[in-house]
Amino acid sequence: MPLDISQLVLDMQAAATSVLKADVTTFRGFSDRQLKAIAQQAELVRLGITTGQITDETREFFLDGLEDMALSFARTLRGLLIATVEKVWNALVGVLWKAISTATGLILPIPTLGADR
Amino acid sequence: MFLRPLAFVRLATLALWLLLSGCATQLAPAYDRAVVDGLNAATVETMALLAGVSAGTTQASFPVREDRYNQLIGRLEALALLAGARPVPKNKVTDTINSLLAERGGPPLDDDGSTAPSVHAIKKIAETVTKLRDTDRKQGVNAFEAMAFKGQIAIYLDQAITYENFLQR
Repeated sequence: MPLDISQLVLDMQAAATSVLKADVTTFRGFSDRQLKAIAQQAELVRLGITTGQITDETREFFLDGLEDMALSFARTLRGLLIATVEKVWNALVGVLWKAISTATGLILPIPTLGADR
Repeated sequence: MFLRPLAFVRLATLALWLLLSGCATQLAPAYDRAVVDGLNAATVETMALLAGVSAGTTQASFPVREDRYNQLIGRLEALALLAGARPVPKNKVTDTINSLLAERGGPPLDDDGSTAPSVHAIKKIAETVTKLRDTDRKQGVNAFEAMAFKGQIAIYLDQAITYENFLQR
């Protein structure tokens, strides 16, 4: 039985969109929280240094912390994106393998990322 | 905000490319319940400690808190080890993703791709608690500094918790 290419494309789009929509919600929430928190921390450090409430003992530590927090945020966001690519891959493979199994009548094991070849 | 329609297409295209090229590669570390549970427990412990110093401390009363600081730092460092023990493969796939992301803005990130980002965040939490302890021991911590320590720790905690929970896929 031939594959219904149009339906297959629609199914793959739906699978990918489902993953992306859910994950983008997470990205947005995380980014909003982080950007707001880092901005507030920057203002807190500025104010503390200006008023002398952040002492010489901790001033450099907090300034270095701001720089590192921003970089760490970017790395975390990238990590989330990489995990999403993996999820999309698995979703697409699931759709493809199901279609092929149905068309051929064969039961094909769905490959998963992480399975070495 | 970060994923516009073009980005959706790029991610989907990359995933399709992975599919067609037959790259059977793990892109992100495995979800580890022990790491998540440890992180949750450490979060509660950290916030409780921060609440205890939020009004400021004096050097004289530091011995009362010292054991608690040390236990928390030890727990966090152990958690960083546990989280970092999972392999994160570095390969052409992640390099390709990095290139795509770098194209989207700013210079590429020069990081160690062999560890999960949460490991760095947990280590920084441990470093921040260590700095809090050392400052407390040396001169006490005023309420403003306590607030700044809490702000920094909360940001790193959010990064670690969000990433580790996201790995449940």
